[in-house]
Amino acid sequence: MKHDNWIPTACYQCKAECAILARVGDGKVKEIRGNPAGHGKACVKGMAGISLEYNPDRITKPLKRVGERGEGKFEPVSWDEALDIIADKLGELRDNGEEHKLTASFFPHSITDPKWRFLNAYGGFINTALPHCDSAKIVAFIKAMGGVPNHHIPPAWFTVPPGGIMIMAGRHAFGGLDDAAVPRDILEARKRGAKLVVLDPFFNEDAARADWWIPIRPSGDTALFLGMINHIIAKEIYDKDFVENWIREGDFDKLKEYIKDKTPEAMSAICDVPAADIKKLAEMCAEAPSVGVDSFKGIMLGQALDFGHAWTIFLSITGNIDNPGGQPMPDVTPLSPVEPVPAGANLAEKGFHVTGPDKEKFSKYSFIMEPTWYQAQAIKNGGLKVLINSEANPALTEMGQDEWRKAVTMKENGEYKLELLVSYEIMLSDTSKYADLVLPDKTYFERWELLYMPWWYNFGQGVLLRQPVVEAPGECRHSNEVFIELGKRLCPEYFAFKDDVEFYDIQLAGLGLSVAKLQEMGGMWSPGTIGFRKYKDAGGFGTPSKKIHLYWEDLEDVAQAMPRPGLAAEYEIDEDTYPFILVSYRSIFHQGTGQWSHNNPQLRDPVSGLYENPALINSAAATKLGINDGDKITIASRTGEIKATAKLTERIRPDCIGLHHGFGSSIGRVAATGEGVSDNALIPDSGQTLDWQDLVGGESHVSTRVRIQS
Amino acid sequence: MKQLGLMIDMDLCIGCKTCIVACRNYHGLVDHDRAMPGEIPFYLRVESKREGSYPMISANHWVIPCQHCKKAKCIEACPSGAIIKDEQTGIVRIDQEKCTGEKKCIEACLWDVIQFNEAGGFAHKCNLCYDRVVFGEMPVCAEVCMTNAITFGELQMLKQKAKTEGREIDRKMSPMSVIYLKPTPKNTLASP
Repeated sequence: MKHDNWIPTACYQCKAECAILARVGDGKVKEIRGNPAGHGKACVKGMAGISLEYNPDRITKPLKRVGERGEGKFEPVSWDEALDIIADKLGELRDNGEEHKLTASFFPHSITDPKWRFLNAYGGFINTALPHCDSAKIVAFIKAMGGVPNHHIPPAWFTVPPGGIMIMAGRHAFGGLDDAAVPRDILEARKRGAKLVVLDPFFNEDAARADWWIPIRPSGDTALFLGMINHIIAKEIYDKDFVENWIREGDFDKLKEYIKDKTPEAMSAICDVPAADIKKLAEMCAEAPSVGVDSFKGIMLGQALDFGHAWTIFLSITGNIDNPGGQPMPDVTPLSPVEPVPAGANLAEKGFHVTGPDKEKFSKYSFIMEPTWYQAQAIKNGGLKVLINSEANPALTEMGQDEWRKAVTMKENGEYKLELLVSYEIMLSDTSKYADLVLPDKTYFERWELLYMPWWYNFGQGVLLRQPVVEAPGECRHSNEVFIELGKRLCPEYFAFKDDVEFYDIQLAGLGLSVAKLQEMGGMWSPGTIGFRKYKDAGGFGTPSKKIHLYWEDLEDVAQAMPRPGLAAEYEIDEDTYPFILVSYRSIFHQGTGQWSHNNPQLRDPVSGLYENPALINSAAATKLGINDGDKITIASRTGEIKATAKLTERIRPDCIGLHHGFGSSIGRVAATGEGVSDNALIPDSGQTLDWQDLVGGESHVSTRVRIQS
Repeated sequence: MKQLGLMIDMDLCIGCKTCIVACRNYHGLVDHDRAMPGEIPFYLRVESKREGSYPMISANHWVIPCQHCKKAKCIEACPSGAIIKDEQTGIVRIDQEKCTGEKKCIEACLWDVIQFNEAGGFAHKCNLCYDRVVFGEMPVCAEVCMTNAITFGELQMLKQKAKTEGREIDRKMSPMSVIYLKPTPKNTLASP
């Protein structure tokens, strides 16, 4: 049957937000495709978005808690009453001069997401609800290269020349958290003669297609890169032109001095990659026409800022900044500001991380948002009084999840210390069980949104319109609409526009567009130009010296002026009592989906998704412990323990246990069938293990040492 | 012989299962009110083979649709004449109206690709998106494949394409109308 009614919009099954087409028939979403005007691909999560849309678990009315937090008992309430409760509480907070004690957890879809605007206008803060995010990478890149913060911008793989090197450092690129076209583009580059190198303790799908799988020790990536930098400098095979012209004067000499003893042999002892392999990879990279590295935070496990720093140095001395196949530099689409632009509260003065007892430890913190993982501590400190979640599920996604649950149920004089907890939900989640108000959100098929962040796979794809393709059920309202209404009540001078569409119209005027015009043109403003070596035209980089800063003098007193090679603290501590390292891995079925995919029957179906997350143990290591395939085992850390099914495999280092991240949801028709355990029950609460965390780059460590108890 | 088919490149298949879900969406196989894991019909499945021992290992995936057999066992087994091999396309199709629900085809199929609809009492399976391909469109799986691992076309032309590109067909896996290209060696840079 030939179908014509394909509507261009944006997926939001995960944070990649690919450009898609949705086919609507009889008022329902029937099919999904990647939008050929974009990169043309959608992944399995995107295809299964229809099972989210029509999930019978969807909530369609606002709910108010009855009983205690955690019991999950609710009664329906009107929107008016729900909004009055929120507005009254926020009014009271402001009257007490405590606006900064509001934090909203959400994934900002654009630089001026209406939710973010509300927070800036009111005086609260945002955290991203993504404890596994890559803030340290952003910090490292800004410190070294200046410019706008680039989020998870992988190299533009479609630009890799033949012979180029593509390094995935714990990235799980085929696990779908960048554009769905990334696997195709990597494999096409391979066909052109580029080489794919995967650094990972776990043999994932990227590794299965790679020219070289290097099973590195978790957190060893900084050491590996430092070993390569040492070798490249020692053999004088660095990019002399780039070093001479684009690295700040004196920095390369400081690097040479620092790197002298970081020999491949010395670094091999830390990262457990043979020195000969470190040298071989270094030489390959120095000789290649391009090297692109993609990672989140090291191997999602280690000292993130140090790795980001080593990574930047490596790319700089090999001349792989803003070149085809190397690290692109992001651009911001020239949209118009919505006047008046709210200044926002001062994070460095009033943020919950700097108003509590740990403020000294955060003195070098330089990320632009509150550290999500400090939420539980902030509640205990009295620094966080109102928490509004949207598209976030901290009760399950927060490291040390039990500590978060404990904090939100903590009382003082009979009252909850966290005075109001609101959760926008499509379906009930583990977080909603603790919420005072659960508000029925619209899905991405039912709402307007203008997406523009400098993190897209192709920066030329500057603006993407998400438009409602079907009606929302019941009383669902998108969180943006609700925040705009709260804005009109509480800070009307910043919300003088009519609604979300008018808000986007004002911004689109910068491109000579409006929502209607953009809709008419296919929903995407995408000139398709990345622009290579833009620093040459711009007269340098966005740093004060206009050159790349390899040496960070502001971090001298915390010994991070140059990247530290050592493993993250949690890998050395407890080594005797907890001999294994927990590796949280991802797959395409449940990566970056927050609370949604675990109640998606197609993504939990064994044929088309992943139902459970057994504990992956190297066969030889398991045999030594007398563990057989299918055995029920207990995995314990200093924080907690879980019961899991052992799955013996050759796909993982013998000193690691692999657990797919994100399982363990207990609420919802599919999740309630039981299988799956949460890695966050094992990982320590970051607020209590501050000495282990990256307090400069704002990252929290997401792994830990564990042991197996039979 | 007129025969349409698919070519699956095991170098490119990453086992993402996008094709399975897109296929279900197109063919309307999901009852959203009742769908539960393990109970949703499917016309495609992904199989995988992992070999070797740590750290020298390999993993490959491929998708198995109906193979649209030359002499299909399901056709021979069907007591009601509900299954035919379409002359123009070589597609093996089940006529749900004629199907009497005796499941003989399911027992006979060598590839285990036929599903049974209990409520409607009929067998159903991949029809290579007959109602798309006769109008010049690709089957859904080939259209949506994330890595372009699935190529659709006339079987003879697919074989010619494999040869032109210097790729080896896995003969054992490819006796019918779906052919599988052997994966090229991976991890070749690793030290032995």
